[in-house]
Amino acid sequence: MFLDNIMVLFVKALFLTVMAPLVAGLIKKCKAILQNRRGPGVFQLYFDIAKWLSKDSVISPTTSWIFKVAPFIYFACAVGAAGLSPLILFTGITVWPADLFMVLYLFVLSRFSLALASLDAGSAFGGMGGSREMYIAALVEPALLLTMLTVAFKAHSTNIMDMTVSVAGGAGGLSVIFAAAAFFIILLAETGRIPVDNPDTHLELTMVHEGMILEYSGRRLGLIVWASAIKQLVLIVIFSTLFLPWTPAIGGGASQIAWFVGKILLTAGGLALSETLANKMRLFKVPGFLAVAGLLALLAIVAGVD
Amino acid sequence: MIKNYTVSAKNLRAAANACYSKSKHGLLAMFANDERQIHGKFAIYCLFDGRNPEEMLSVKALVDDQEAPEYPSLTPIIPAAAWFEREIHDLFGLTALENKDLRPLVLHENWPQGLYPMRKDFAVEAVVPEAHKDFPLAHAHGEGVFEVPVGPIHAGIIEPGHFRFSQAGETTFRLDAKLFFTHRGIEKIVEGQTIEQALFSAERICGACSVSHALSFCQTVESISKAIVPERANVIRVIVAELERLYNHIGDVGNLCAGLGFSVGTSHGARLKEHLMRLNDAVTGNRFLRGMIIPGGVRYDLSGGLIEEIYKTLKRTESDFREVVGLLEENDQFLDRVNTTGILPFQAAKELGVVGVAARASGVDYDLRRDKPYSGYAWITCNVPFYRSGDVAARLWVRVDETLESIRIVRQMLERIVLTQTDLAVEIPPLEPYKAGIGWSESARGGNIHWLMTGKDNTIYRYFVRSASYANWPALPVAVPGNIIPDFPLINKSFELCYACLDR
Repeated sequence: MFLDNIMVLFVKALFLTVMAPLVAGLIKKCKAILQNRRGPGVFQLYFDIAKWLSKDSVISPTTSWIFKVAPFIYFACAVGAAGLSPLILFTGITVWPADLFMVLYLFVLSRFSLALASLDAGSAFGGMGGSREMYIAALVEPALLLTMLTVAFKAHSTNIMDMTVSVAGGAGGLSVIFAAAAFFIILLAETGRIPVDNPDTHLELTMVHEGMILEYSGRRLGLIVWASAIKQLVLIVIFSTLFLPWTPAIGGGASQIAWFVGKILLTAGGLALSETLANKMRLFKVPGFLAVAGLLALLAIVAGVD
Repeated sequence: MIKNYTVSAKNLRAAANACYSKSKHGLLAMFANDERQIHGKFAIYCLFDGRNPEEMLSVKALVDDQEAPEYPSLTPIIPAAAWFEREIHDLFGLTALENKDLRPLVLHENWPQGLYPMRKDFAVEAVVPEAHKDFPLAHAHGEGVFEVPVGPIHAGIIEPGHFRFSQAGETTFRLDAKLFFTHRGIEKIVEGQTIEQALFSAERICGACSVSHALSFCQTVESISKAIVPERANVIRVIVAELERLYNHIGDVGNLCAGLGFSVGTSHGARLKEHLMRLNDAVTGNRFLRGMIIPGGVRYDLSGGLIEEIYKTLKRTESDFREVVGLLEENDQFLDRVNTTGILPFQAAKELGVVGVAARASGVDYDLRRDKPYSGYAWITCNVPFYRSGDVAARLWVRVDETLESIRIVRQMLERIVLTQTDLAVEIPPLEPYKAGIGWSESARGGNIHWLMTGKDNTIYRYFVRSASYANWPALPVAVPGNIIPDFPLINKSFELCYACLDR
C-alpha cells in the first residue's frame, strides 16, 4: 500500500512536470490570439527549456553558493508540490503525506530560496525584484491559506485528498463561488500575472518575478522557468479541483478526464482573458487588490457555515 | 525676420536678458561658432523668439580665446541655458563663468581632455586616443539610500542611455542621465558639404521626425536665399508634416499602454500606426516620409489617387482611434496609473524652455505652427490643445487632441491642394558666404530649431540643431523624483524623448 502511494505521488509529479510547459504555452497562445497577434506555438516553451538546459550558466563572480543552489531548490519544491496536488485520476488511493500545509510551505520555501538568490548577485534589479516579491508574498500567503481553509473546514481535514473528496460530495453553493473568486485573484498574483506583475515585460524597473531571475542564464534559468510553469499548473489544478467542484475528476473514466482537462483549459483561458483586459496596477495598490481575495475567502467561510 | 545684435563677451548677459524679457517662449538655442577664420574670434549665439510671429532675436557675443576663452553664464537668469553651456564647454572649450555645473555632457570619460571637436582646427578624420577620465553623475548619500543604475543597454529595442536613480525604498528622489552615447557628429560632418549633400544628413538626424528636421533645414536655406516656395509645395509640406505627427502620436499612445501592460491599447496603437506608415510609404516611397522635402519645395506631387487614399485612411484611422481613446477614458484602472503620475510643474516647464507636448501638458500654451507659422500653417487656424495638470495623463490627452486636430488639418490641406498651381519647387540660387539663417518646425515632440551659416562655394560653415528632445530631456529629472521607480517607464514614455535627436 505504501509503495503504491509513493508510485502515485511519483506519477503525478512526473505527469504535471511534463505537462506544465504545454499549459504555459496554451495561456501564451490564448493571450496572443486575444491581442490580435499570432504568438509562438504552444510547444515553444519545451524548445526554450531544452535550449537553456543544454547551455552553460554565466555566474557572476560576486555570488555565493546560494545563487547556484537556489534554482534546484526551487525546482524540487515545484515538483514536490506537483506530487502532492489533488490530481485524482485514480480511485481508492489516499496518499499519505498530501497535507495542505505541506503544499503551502513548499511554495514558501521555493519563494524564499529564489528571493535569497536574487539578493546574492548584488545587482539593483535582483534586489528590487526580491523585495517586491516578499512584499507581495506577505499579502498573498494569508489570503491563500484562508481560501484553502474554506474547503478544509467543510472536510474537517487538511489532507488534500480528503478535501477533494469532500468537495466532490457537495458541489455548488455561495461559499464555493466566493472561494473561487478569491482563489482566482491569488492565482493571478502567484503566477506573476497582470495586474500584479507582468510576465511579458522587458522593463526592468517594473519587474517582480522576472527581476529576481534576471541574473540567471543557461541551465539554471531553464530550471527556474520550468519550475514556474509547474507551480502555475499545480495552482491551476488546485483551483479546478477544489474551487470548480462540478463533475469531479475522481476515478479514471473518460468523461471525468475530459471534464478535468476542460476545466484546466477554462482556467488557462480565464487567465489569458483577465491579463488582456486589465493593466498593471501601481505597486502600492496591490495590497488592496489582495485584501479583496482575503475578504472573499472570509465571506466564503461564513457562507459555508451550516 | 531675424534681428541681430552683436555684443562683446562681457555684455552677453545684459543683451541676453533684454531679449529674454522681450521673447515669448524664452531661449530657443544657444551655441558657439568658431569664426576665427572670418574675424579671429569665437562667437556665442543665443536665439530667442520675438513676440511677433515673424520675429526672431539673435544675440551674438564675440569671445577672444587669446584673451580668455570664457563668457558670462546665462544659467543664473535663464535656467534653460544649462545644457547649452555644458555642451559649448565640451565641444568648443569655452567656459561659462559662474555656471557651477560644467560637468561633461556630450563627451564621455573616454574623450581626452583639451580636445575640442567642433573647433575648426580639429580635423574630422583625426584619430582620437582613448582617455580614462571621470564622468560624475548626480547622486545622493544617506542611510538607507541606494542607487539603481540602468542602461546604457536596455532590454527592449531602445537607444542607449544610462540612468542613475537615487532611491529610498521604491521612491526615487534623484535622477541623473548620461546620454549622447552614439553621437554622430553630424554638425561637424556637414561642415564643408554642399546644401544638397547635407540635406541627407539633416533628414536622418532622427527617424521619427525626419520630415520636421528636413523641413527646418530647408527653411533655413530658403531664409538665407530668400526663395519663395510655391504654394502647392507648402501645402504638401504641411500634409507630410501632419502625417508624421499622426503616426507618431498614435504610436506613442499605444506605447504608453505598453508601459503599463494594457495590451488592448498596445495592439491597437501598433495596428493603426502600421496603417499610417503604409500610407507614408504610398505617398513618399518611404515609411518615414523621407525624400519628400527638398530646399525650395518638395520632390514629388500628390496625385488624385493618392489624395483619395489619404482621405480613406484618415477616415478609418479617425473612427478607430476615437474608439481606442474611449477604451482608455472609461478604464478606471488605466486612469489610476496615469493621473497624478510624473508631474512636470508649469514653472519648471517654463524656465527649462520645455517644448511640444510636454510643455502643452504643463500649461505652456505654445506651438510653433500657430505662434511662428511656417510653410502653409499661416493659412489655417491651428487649435492648440493644452492642459495644466502636467502629469502622464495630460501628456496623453494632449497627444489625443492633437491627433484629431492633425486629421482636421490634413483634410483642410487636401481641399486646398486641388486649387493650387502645379509648381513643386523653385531653384535655390548660389548662397552668399557667411550668411546665417534660422529654420523651425513643430515635430510630434516639439519644435526643431535649425541654424545654419553658409561658407564659400555654396557650402556649410556651421550647422546647429536644437531638437525638441534636447530641450525636453532636462525636464525628466524634474518630473520623476517623488514617484516610485516602477512608474519611471511610464513617465519616460509619456515624454517620448529621443536619443538620436541628441546624438546628432
